[in-house]
Amino acid sequence: MSTEEEALHQRLRASVHYTVGRLCQKVGEDHRREFSRHVIAAIAETTFRQCEIFAKDLEAFARHAKRSTVSPEDVKLAARRSTALLKFIQMKSEALNQEQRDLKKNTGKRKS
Amino acid sequence: MAEKDEDVEFKKEMVRKLLSSFFTEDKTKISGDAVLLMAEMLKVFVQEAAVRSIKQAGSEDCDTVDIEHFEKILPQLFLDF
Repeated sequence: MSTEEEALHQRLRASVHYTVGRLCQKVGEDHRREFSRHVIAAIAETTFRQCEIFAKDLEAFARHAKRSTVSPEDVKLAARRSTALLKFIQMKSEALNQEQRDLKKNTGKRKS
Repeated sequence: MAEKDEDVEFKKEMVRKLLSSFFTEDKTKISGDAVLLMAEMLKVFVQEAAVRSIKQAGSEDCDTVDIEHFEKILPQLFLDF
């Protein structure tokens, strides 16, 4: 890996760590428990590594469908292992589509 | 002072850069919607890791969630994702 890529990954790792820390803080508050700094670092590192697995899976799914751009369909495939997760992602995808349909409708109305 | 209930999210551009950095081919890109969905998925991943670790700590009567609690729930977490 080039030094540029390494530097990018370091920045991304730090970014992930920050968001993970905040998410864990919220969950901890909801359950009235505290996470040790080590656990937050471990969850952050695991999340970062899981991204590599997701990314490679997504790329493979897109390639299999003869596309070079990863689409929501690929993300749904990546979420197939857990029914609850799949349903959640499908719901979010539907919500995004609905948003876009609403946007198009409003844009259409404004055009004279 | 009332707490600002801001939803913590993974930033879209960060997720895009993160995923893109792991693609093996230069031509592979990712759509905006796919990035948003992946941001949601990552959020769920972290929340699951956190909640399951808390439950594990609770079942062992520990006040603080520590590494061993996280390590115990990790295998099932990977199976579910």
